[in-house]
Amino acid sequence: MSPSTRHEFQSPPSAARRWESAALWLFRIATYVILICGAGVFGNIVVKGSKTVFTSTAPFINVAFFTEAPESLYVFEYQGQKREMGDREFRAFKTTHPEAKDIKAESYVYSAGGIFPCIVGTVLLVLGSMMIALTLGVSAAVYLSEYAKQGRAVTLIRLAILNLAGVPSIVFGLFGLGLFVIYLDWNVSLLAGWFTLAFMVLPVVITASEESLKAVPKGFREGSLALGATKWQTIRKNVLPYALPGILTSSILGIARVAGETAPIMFTAAYVVRDKLPWEGLTSVSDFFFQGVMALPYHIYVVSSKIPQNEYTERVQYGTAFVFLVIVALIATCSIVMRNKLRNRYKW
Amino acid sequence: METPRPTSQSDFLVNKKRIRVFGLSFDDAIKIFFGGNAVVSIIVLALITYFLFQEGIGFFGQNHRNLLTYRQAGLEYVDFIRTQESGHIALTRYLSDLRLRQYNHYIAEQKMSPAAANEALAKFDEFAAQYGDAVEPIRGMVSDLTEQATAIKTKFLIAEDKKTERQQLLVAGKIDEAAAVKIEAVDFAAELHLLTGILPVYKQTSAEFAKKLDAALAVAPKLSTPELMVRLDRFNQLTHDYLATFPATARSLETWDYTRAVPWYQAISAFLFGREWLTASFWQDWYGIVPLLMGSVMVSLVALVIAVPLGVGAAIYINQIASAQEQRIIKPSIEFISAFPSVVLGFFGIAVLGQSLRWLSQQSWLAWVPGFPFSERLNILTAGCLLALIAVPTIFTLAEDALQNVPKAFKEASFALGATRLQTIIKIVVPASLSGIISAVLLGLGRVIGETMVVLLCAGNRIAIPDFTAGLAVVTQPVHTMTGIIAQEMGEVVRGSIHYRALFVVGIVLFFLSLGINFIAQKIVRKYRISIG
Repeated sequence: MSPSTRHEFQSPPSAARRWESAALWLFRIATYVILICGAGVFGNIVVKGSKTVFTSTAPFINVAFFTEAPESLYVFEYQGQKREMGDREFRAFKTTHPEAKDIKAESYVYSAGGIFPCIVGTVLLVLGSMMIALTLGVSAAVYLSEYAKQGRAVTLIRLAILNLAGVPSIVFGLFGLGLFVIYLDWNVSLLAGWFTLAFMVLPVVITASEESLKAVPKGFREGSLALGATKWQTIRKNVLPYALPGILTSSILGIARVAGETAPIMFTAAYVVRDKLPWEGLTSVSDFFFQGVMALPYHIYVVSSKIPQNEYTERVQYGTAFVFLVIVALIATCSIVMRNKLRNRYKW
Repeated sequence: METPRPTSQSDFLVNKKRIRVFGLSFDDAIKIFFGGNAVVSIIVLALITYFLFQEGIGFFGQNHRNLLTYRQAGLEYVDFIRTQESGHIALTRYLSDLRLRQYNHYIAEQKMSPAAANEALAKFDEFAAQYGDAVEPIRGMVSDLTEQATAIKTKFLIAEDKKTERQQLLVAGKIDEAAAVKIEAVDFAAELHLLTGILPVYKQTSAEFAKKLDAALAVAPKLSTPELMVRLDRFNQLTHDYLATFPATARSLETWDYTRAVPWYQAISAFLFGREWLTASFWQDWYGIVPLLMGSVMVSLVALVIAVPLGVGAAIYINQIASAQEQRIIKPSIEFISAFPSVVLGFFGIAVLGQSLRWLSQQSWLAWVPGFPFSERLNILTAGCLLALIAVPTIFTLAEDALQNVPKAFKEASFALGATRLQTIIKIVVPASLSGIISAVLLGLGRVIGETMVVLLCAGNRIAIPDFTAGLAVVTQPVHTMTGIIAQEMGEVVRGSIHYRALFVVGIVLFFLSLGINFIAQKIVRKYRISIG
């Protein structure tokens, strides 16, 4: 803005100019304050969480944290040494050291072991709900952008989508509780969680898909129709393939939302603790769908609100938050990067 | 050149098969399938409304019965006297505050030793004790009556339980067993006679109580500074006001009648305007949404006060001022912030932000800030700061879109007239996109008010209407919110109980609140969109 060399006709900076640069700096500061806050939160969790997740020796990653189930942590003094042990190890220790039978130990729930069942649960929840949401959402978008004629019905549908997008996630949770858990009697189950989450991201998927469908030039459809193809053939061969990358990228943002939400699964799918992994102890196929699971976001809620903060519990709290944040952030980054790439690739 | 004619139909490049099922061609079926999926969004919206109401609507009937029991079992009667007692408690609290100020004055200004200060206050203590003890007879009366009323209520509830048991047995066809269920009918008139019979005694006790207070006031000692004397006078005034309410209490006791019906609308108004959310209490449960609504509103306000200047400022900076390179980096970064899961932010609030803010508030150079220092780690401010981080990306993205939509010609015309960049931004670009910016703020509000995990973890979860007399310091008080209460209590309530239904009604309020915000945001965009020619 300000040229480096002043020439003789240039007036000295006026009051208006000074005001201007002051105000512009205010805007600049606002922007960077946001970035600093975001970076602060992210950095804090990454730095403290990486102490749990990474180790200083090979293989540099805390494998146990990713592969074990959460268990209680026992802290006790034995022969003048402070020891920390997980539940199973502690019991084994007691049997091998009979003299330590009556040892006094402080216990902290969920603070030992790992978060494997939570990761599995979150993955299952995300996969199932995205499958449902994509099927429903993409077909709805195809109808809206390809088939529907502007009329009262379509206006109504669009209005419903817009409003659905604004419904708070906890209300979706209540809805899932009322319909799936109680009315349909699915209890707290994967299936109930899938549908609740799917309905929650439906507006995101529909809007995103419709946008990518609209971006396919009209000529593609007209050319196909002119060759005598039916509407469906046109859509299948000449519209969907070009819109698909866009649909998928934008839907990844939906995945980030599904993975990140806690409130809808609190009463519909999540257990505080469950010993079995989802594929263990099944007697029939339907059992798989009608079981509750542990989930990462719910686990974070549990460990951050139900157990006290100290040096022993901090480990699992920050570790879980770090893993979860990184997963969600990776998904979101993928989506943002791919979308920016895609914008440049297809130019018609 | 001779081209061979296609021998069979399949050689056509595009092959139309016409199979009709139920008079529908394949294409029609596809269309209907897609259309059906599109209608799902309407169905879901309708289902949400339906199930919220189905589970929630029963609340009002139950609440009506709840209020009716409150009256019939005489709890209301006892609460009249209890209110009188708690009024006195508030006054004694004022008195002990007065003592503390006087004590501090002695220590700080007159450099007395603590023992000497206490000695100098001996007279005051005597007065305070006389004032405080005056309530004892009333207090004893209240606790006796409480027991009696609770007994009546329990009896009544047991009778009601038996009635439902008999009903269920009858429905199940077990007539003999149903007949065997003994129902002890509660004779309210006889039972309540014990309560209301106390009225003459009450009147006498109350009159004595008033006399005692007057007598106590007469011996109030002088305090050492004019400022404290003003407070003592104020206390005198408050006591007189308090004494003036006695006849009204007596009158409501006299005119109280357990047979007076509770109007149906009271079940609704008690919910909408109720100032107490009190559950699982031994005395009486209250389901008033005001403290929760206030909590939600306060937290959202704090969040918006922080997020709007930042979000809109950043949008203006990125859209109007920043270089292309800055834009390329900053825009995705802010979008990235929107991907932070709210539960992680809530955890951050508990683990880091709450403590940091409290530490900050205890710094002496910040003592001028209203509300500082505060001792509650989790409060409106903590939750509001985190919610602001959630609202900023929403506000930023939508506001930036709105700015983007302002035609370039507007800006160019302004520059051509010799306006500076700042003038162009403030006078041309922002007004032209104002409708978009306002709706961005509203959608940010919708996002914030529906947010659950952050407020559940960081708002402090104290169910009380924030004390607005504290001025701006109100933001350092803990609150509970509508979303928070659902998430916290839904897991523990009995299905079908009044408490469970009350939570669903809170959900209904939340649902319509967010629909309303959404609706207004859309209206504003549509109505005030500038015509871009």
